[in-house]
Amino acid sequence: MSELRYLKTHEWFKEKNGLVTVGISMYAQGELGDIVFVILPDVDKEFTEGTPVAELEATKTVSEVYAPFDCKITEVNPSLDAHPELINSDPLGEGWLLKATIKNYYEKGMTEVEYLKSIDS
Amino acid sequence: MPISFEGTIKEHTRVRIGSGFFDVSHMGRFKISINNLSALSSLICGDIKKKNANTALYSMILNNEGGVIDDIIIWKLKTHLILVCNASNTRRLQKLFDLHKLEYILLNKTTSLIAVQGPDVLDKLNHCLDIPDNFMCSYKLSNMFDKKVVIARTGYTGEDGIEILINHDDDIKLIDLLEKQKIFPCGLGARDTLRLEAGLPLYGQELNEFVTPIEVGFKWLVDFDHDFNGKDTLLKQLKTGNHKFLKKFVINDKIVARRGDIGMSNNIKGIVTSGNYSPILKKSIGFIIFDSKPESDLIKFNIRGKLIDGNLVKGKFVG
Repeated sequence: MSELRYLKTHEWFKEKNGLVTVGISMYAQGELGDIVFVILPDVDKEFTEGTPVAELEATKTVSEVYAPFDCKITEVNPSLDAHPELINSDPLGEGWLLKATIKNYYEKGMTEVEYLKSIDS
Repeated sequence: MPISFEGTIKEHTRVRIGSGFFDVSHMGRFKISINNLSALSSLICGDIKKKNANTALYSMILNNEGGVIDDIIIWKLKTHLILVCNASNTRRLQKLFDLHKLEYILLNKTTSLIAVQGPDVLDKLNHCLDIPDNFMCSYKLSNMFDKKVVIARTGYTGEDGIEILINHDDDIKLIDLLEKQKIFPCGLGARDTLRLEAGLPLYGQELNEFVTPIEVGFKWLVDFDHDFNGKDTLLKQLKTGNHKFLKKFVINDKIVARRGDIGMSNNIKGIVTSGNYSPILKKSIGFIIFDSKPESDLIKFNIRGKLIDGNLVKGKFVG
């Protein structure tokens, strides 16, 4: 599956062959304002579904990013340390946060249309 | 005013290195006749009576215990004063002025207040506006508006610039002029990061009724030669040194200490009143208030359960 899925907590994820890529939604970056610091997890660290995996410091507020699945981090976006603003300018592309392997993938989250409807209501 | 138009950091940087404007028409503004000088003087810690005409005074209105009811700017013109206060305190000041039989006209419904800030402002506007010298103000006929406008060389960003009080009907004309000069609007986000970076306190954050000008480091605002509410408390605090201390801090880690976070200076506890990212220093900065004089400039913050070191700094963050 390559289509983006969204969570109520405003992350998106994309799963392929047991590897997920995670970022935050366009809506979330707008709500946070300019992102100034990004705290990303160490590679190989394991997280339980729904627990905080990263922290985004923005001019308006600070926000946690939650693990979409039980997972083990394989890579974090190396560009974000020097350029956290990539999350604002391209949250679904160059502003991705991390990649992780998952053991037990299951269908969850919302399509983009469903997500947009959920934040509109 | 929205939080931002094009992003807080973009707007912040624009004001620091070029120019930008803020529509601050939400702020309270009172026209007070010059006959009320003495009555006003007893309510504020500075002495407005001593100021020459066409000068500006930043001051604080105090309660009987020296606590800050509001921080204000007064533009002293020849025939009247314009007093600008925080929006949330407008109603409160009206009641206070009524109580002290101080006559005023509230200008909020008939005027707009626009702050144009940044090092390029003078160059861009000198050709069409008569701009007073630093910290001066004027009430003159403007060719551009064909009526009298108040222009003050004041602001809340730490940059050079002006604040203009114009008839409500003329504000679009002014904004058109600003945009023609490539001076673009900025939002509340940049207003907050700019004032923080300039080391200026904000009412409701650093300032409230439970701190005095002495405690927030604004002794220089106080004129002890005149009588005003709370004077005894301020004198006592100066004599004993026994009071709270508001300080500025910098954190080198990639984390922002936010309002309510705790910082310890050895055994002296402090609470962060404002904290944010400084787009110019590219560091985390803020204000912290201690129960008593901090014992060390090294501060151990507890930020969301993480122990982070920071340092108290003297003087301005930038400039």
